[in-house]
Amino acid sequence: RQQRRTSAASLQCIINSKQPKEAPKNFTFDYSYWSHSSEEDPSFASQRKVYQDIGEEMLLHAFEGYNVCIFAYGQTGAGKSYTMMGKQDPGQQGIIPQMCEDLFRQTAENTDPDLSFSVEVSYMEIYCERVRDLLNPKSRGALRVREHPIMGPYVEDLSKMAVTNYSDIADLMDTGNKARTVAATNMNETSSRSHAVFTILFTQRRHDNMTSLDTEKVSKISLVDLAGSERADSSGAKGMRLKEGANINKSLTTLGKVISALADMHGSKKRRSDFIPYRDSVLTWLLRENLGGNSRTAMIAALSPADINYEETLSTLRYADRAKQIKCNAVINEDPNARLVRELKEEVNRLKELLLSQGLSNLITASGKYTHTHSTSDAPMEGVAPTSPTTHISKEEAAERLKETEKIIAELNETWEEKLRKTESIRQDREALLAEMGVSVKEDGGTVGVFSPKRTPHLVNLNEDPLMSECLIYYIKDGVTRVGQEDVDIRLTGQFIKELHCVFCSEVNENNEGESDHTKVTHCITYRNATVMLPENTVGEHNPQCHLPLPAKTL
Amino acid sequence: MAAHQSSEWRTVCEKFRLAQDLSEVESRKDPENNPFRSKYKARDLLKEIHCSLKKIQIEEEGEADSESRQMVDEGAGNECGKSCSGDSPAGLGAARLAVLQYYLGVNHIETEELSAGEQHLMNCLKLIDKCTTTRENVSLFIQARNQLGILWAGRDEIEKAQGFLEIAESMYLLYMREDGQPPLDLQDFFVLEGEELSQQEKTRSRFEMAYTHTLYYLAQVYKNLEQYERAGQYCHSTLQRQLEYKQFVPLEWAINAATLSQYYITKTRYMEARHCLAAASVIATLAGEIPSEAAAKESDAECEKREELLQKRSEIARCWIKYCLNLMQDAKKLLEDNIGELDLDRQEELKRARRNVEEEKEKGRKSAILFGSSDTFDSICSLEEKVSSMLPLDFEEARSIFLVGQSYVAQAKEYFAMDGHVTDHIEILQDHSALFKVLAFFEQDLERRCKMHKRRVDMLEPVCKDLNAQYYLLICRQLQFELAETYYEMMDLKLAVADKQDQPDVHTIKKFNNLCSSSMKYYQMFLDSIRSPEGKFPEKLEDDLLRPALVAKFRVARLQSKLISSNLATQLENLTHSLESYNFVVQYCEENPEAKNAVETELELSSEMVSLLPLKINRIRSKIASCN
Repeated sequence: RQQRRTSAASLQCIINSKQPKEAPKNFTFDYSYWSHSSEEDPSFASQRKVYQDIGEEMLLHAFEGYNVCIFAYGQTGAGKSYTMMGKQDPGQQGIIPQMCEDLFRQTAENTDPDLSFSVEVSYMEIYCERVRDLLNPKSRGALRVREHPIMGPYVEDLSKMAVTNYSDIADLMDTGNKARTVAATNMNETSSRSHAVFTILFTQRRHDNMTSLDTEKVSKISLVDLAGSERADSSGAKGMRLKEGANINKSLTTLGKVISALADMHGSKKRRSDFIPYRDSVLTWLLRENLGGNSRTAMIAALSPADINYEETLSTLRYADRAKQIKCNAVINEDPNARLVRELKEEVNRLKELLLSQGLSNLITASGKYTHTHSTSDAPMEGVAPTSPTTHISKEEAAERLKETEKIIAELNETWEEKLRKTESIRQDREALLAEMGVSVKEDGGTVGVFSPKRTPHLVNLNEDPLMSECLIYYIKDGVTRVGQEDVDIRLTGQFIKELHCVFCSEVNENNEGESDHTKVTHCITYRNATVMLPENTVGEHNPQCHLPLPAKTL
Repeated sequence: MAAHQSSEWRTVCEKFRLAQDLSEVESRKDPENNPFRSKYKARDLLKEIHCSLKKIQIEEEGEADSESRQMVDEGAGNECGKSCSGDSPAGLGAARLAVLQYYLGVNHIETEELSAGEQHLMNCLKLIDKCTTTRENVSLFIQARNQLGILWAGRDEIEKAQGFLEIAESMYLLYMREDGQPPLDLQDFFVLEGEELSQQEKTRSRFEMAYTHTLYYLAQVYKNLEQYERAGQYCHSTLQRQLEYKQFVPLEWAINAATLSQYYITKTRYMEARHCLAAASVIATLAGEIPSEAAAKESDAECEKREELLQKRSEIARCWIKYCLNLMQDAKKLLEDNIGELDLDRQEELKRARRNVEEEKEKGRKSAILFGSSDTFDSICSLEEKVSSMLPLDFEEARSIFLVGQSYVAQAKEYFAMDGHVTDHIEILQDHSALFKVLAFFEQDLERRCKMHKRRVDMLEPVCKDLNAQYYLLICRQLQFELAETYYEMMDLKLAVADKQDQPDVHTIKKFNNLCSSSMKYYQMFLDSIRSPEGKFPEKLEDDLLRPALVAKFRVARLQSKLISSNLATQLENLTHSLESYNFVVQYCEENPEAKNAVETELELSSEMVSLLPLKINRIRSKIASCN
C-alpha cells in the first residue's frame, strides 16, 4: 500500500501540468521528503527518517526546557495524520508515538537519583472554534480557553492524565482518537474538519541535596494535527490567520477581514500602533507563544502530488511559506538614544582632550626640563634656535597650554563627588548667612521641609502656603534671645516687625542640665501654637514650638 | 403576453422557483461526498427553462409575424449601437434569457466550473448589452458584472476584475442620476401574471445591496492593486451604505467601523478615525443591553451574549485608546527637538499655523465621510465632541486627550482582566504606560514629569514580576525593556532636577543611584532572558533581538559609569564594569560584522569609550595608589 506524504521541502518546485506555459513555482524549506513510493525507491523517506530529522531535535529541546510544537498542515488525504500519528504496524508509527516512546526510553535510562520526571498528557479537539476534551468522557460541551499569568494559555477544565510509560500514552491516544471518531459520527461532521491537539506536559525535577530544594523544568510539547486545508472557509474550521491572496471575498460578512487586512498593512512590522479587533482562532490563541517565542516549532506541510490537486498543493505550499514568517507582534520598541548619544559624545570629546593634553603635558614636562637645563647653564641662549624638536613651543606658550590642560583635567575630573563638594561649600556659605539671621539649619544641610527639633524651644515660620510653612527654624538659645529687625539674635524683616520685636528668655533647669524648660517672652504680642501669647508667658518643654505668623517672603 | 398565461409558462415559473430553492436552501443539506447535488439539480432545471424559453420565443416570433423582429431591427440606430430599448418586449425577452444565463453562470461558478460559468455570464452581458439600460435590466447588469469581477480576481487578473466592477459602478451612478425608478428584481422575471411582485421596498433594497457589493469588491480590488487609499475609501462607503439601507448587524458593523478607524490612524487622518470610533460606540449600543451577571448565570445564551457584548465594547475601547495615543504621539513627533524635548519655537509656529487652518475645508472633508441615519447622528456627534481630533500642542490639550484615553483604558480592562486575558490585559497596560509617557513629554515641570514615569513603573513592575517567562517570554522582554528605559528616564530627570537645584544632598544621590541600579537591573534581566537554559549567551543574536540586546548593553555601560560614589575603589569597579560592557558591544560587532549596521552610532561611541575609558580608570588607580 502506498503512503502519500511530502513533508516540508528543502526545495519544492511545483509545475502546473494543465497549464504548461505557467512558470514553475519554487519554495524553499528545511527538509523535503518523498513518501509516495515504497522502501525500494532510493528517494523514499520512511517514518523513522522523518522522526530522526524533526522529532529527535524537538525532543532534545523539550529536555532543555523549551516548549515545543509540531504541527501538520495540508489537504485531507495528503498524509497529515499519517505523519503525526501513523499506523500501528511496525515501522508505520508517526512522529507522536515515536516521540513519546523516545521520551520514556530516555527518562528510563536516567540513573541520577536526584533527577525525576513526570509526564502528563491532554488531548483535545477544536471544531468550529469549540474545544472538546477527548480524554474525559464526562466532559460535555465546549471548554473555555483562558490565559493565566503563571500557567500560560490553557483550556479550563481540560483533563490532564498522568502517565508513567509509553503504553499509557498509547492507550490514551487510542481512547482520544476513538472519542474523536464517535463525536464526529454523532454530529455528522468529519474529523478532517477539526484540529486535534495532543499535549505532553513534561516536568524534570531536580533535588538539590545541599539546599534540599527542588527545582522544576517544565516543557510543553504540543503536537497538532490541523484540519484539512481544503475549503476551510465553508467548513468553518479555521486555521491560522494568514493574509489573503488576490481573491475577492464574496460575502459582506467578510468586510471585517478586509478592513483588518488594510489596517494591518500599515501598522505591522515596526511598531504596533494600532489595535485590530480581530479575534485569533482558538488554535492560534493557544499556540500563540509557539509562533515566535520561547519555543521551538516545526511545521510539516503534507502535499499531494496528483495533478488534480494542483491548486490545493500550491496553496499549502504558499501557506507553509508564509508560516515560516509568522512572528508574534511582540517586538521591542526602544526609546530613541538621542540624548544619551549626545551626552556620550561630549564625554568622548572630553576624554579625547584629556588624552591629548596628557600627551601634551608629557611634552611640556620634557621641554620644561630642556629649558631648565639651559637656564642653569651660563651659555647665552638668545637668538639660538632650539635644536630639539620639542622645543618649538616657547616657554610662555607651554605654560599657557599647561594651564589649559590642567583646567581641562580639572574639569574632567570634576565628577559628581567634586560637584558635591562644591555644592557643600556653597551650602556652608548659605548656612553661614542663615546663621547670621538666626535661622538654624538641619545637620545634613537641608533647610527645606518639616523639621522640628523635639526638645529645644524654637520658632518656626508660618505661611499661607503650607509648603512654605515651618521651613525656617529659629532656635531659642539659653539665656536671652532677642528677636527684631536690628541688632538682635534672630533677625526678622517685615512690615509688622519692630526693631526689637520680642525677647525670649530661656532658663536652664538645674535638674536637666543644658535644657531649657522655661522661656519667657517679653515685649510684644506673639502667637504660641496659634494662640496669642502674652508677655511673660512660658513655653513648656513638651511643646517647644512657637509659631511666628510671618510670611516666609519677608525674611 | 399571451404566453404568460399558458401552462407552459406556469411550468417555467415553477421550475424557476424550484431551482432557486434547490440552489439556496437544499444545497446546504448536501452530504460531504456529494456536495453539489442540489446545485446540479438546479442547473438541470435552469437548462430546461432556457430551452422552453427559446421555444416560446420562437413561437411568439412566428405568431407575431415580423412585428417584433422589425422592432429589433429598427431599434438598431437608436442609441449608440443599442439595438433595442430595455423596456421593449424584445428587450424584456432578452433580459429574461439573460437572467437565466446569469443564474447558470453563478451555478457553474459555485460548482467550481469557472470557465463554463464565465461563458454564461458573458452570454448574459451580450444579451443585455444590446439593449439600453432601463429598470428592467440595470440590476442584472450590475450583478453579472459583480460576478465577473470576483471570477477574474480569483484568477489573479485584478485589472480585468477592476474593469467589470468599475463599469458596474458608473452604471449605477448613471442610472440613479438619469432614471432612478425602482428596478426590476431578477426573481420577478419569472412570475405569473396576477401574482404579486416583490414589494418595491424589498426590490430597491436588493438593488442597493448589489451595488454595495460592487463597492465592497472594488475595495478589495484596490487593496490587491495596492491602492490602499482608495481601498479604505471604498470600505468606508460600504459601511456608510450598510448603515443607510439598514443592512447591518450592529456589533459586526461597530467592530468594522472601529477597525477602519485604525486604518485612518495609521494614515494620521484623525477626523475620520474619530468619526468611525464615535459611530462604532453608538452603533454598538444598538446591539442591546448587556445581560446582568445574574441573568448570565441563569442561561447559557445570556452568558454568551454578555460575554460577546462586553468583549466587543472593550475592543472598541481599545481602538479609542490607540486613537488617543497616536494623536498625542504624532503631536510629539512634530514638537520634539533632536533630543526628544519640547521645541518651544516649533510649538509657537504650529499654534500660529493652526489658527490659519480653514475650518471650512475640514467641514467639506467631513461631509463626505459622515455615518449615520437620522436617529444615530446626534449621538455620534456628541460623542465626537468629547475628544479633539487636532494634534495637541500644549500640556492642557494633551492632558484632555490623555484623560479620555485613560477612561477607555479603565473600560477596556473591565473585560480584559489579568485573570483569563493576560496578553490583552498587558497590552492595555502598555498602552496606558505609553499614554503617560507621551503626556510626560508635554509636561514642563521635571518633578511632575518624573512622577508620571513613576506611575508607569508602578503599573508595569508588578506585572513583570508575576509573569511566567516560559509562556510570555516576548511580553516579559518588552516589559523589562520598558521598565529599564523608564528608570533610565527617571534617572535623567532626577539628574536634571538636581542640576537645577544645585544642591544634591545625600538623599538625592541615593535616589539617583537607586534609579541607575533599577534601570540596569531590568536591562540585565532582558539580557539574561536571551541566554540558553544552561545560561549561555548566544554567539549570534536573532535578528529581532540584535539591536535591543546591543542597545541594552550599551545603556548598561553608560549607567555603570554614571553611578555616584565617593569611594575610589567602588568608582574603579563601576568603571571597569562599564568598560566591559562597552567592550562587549565592540567585540560582538567584530565577530558579527553584519551587526554593525544595526548599531552604527552605538558601536562608534562604544569603540571610543573602549579606547578612552582606560585613561579614566588609570587615573583612579593612580589616585588610589597615591592615597595609600
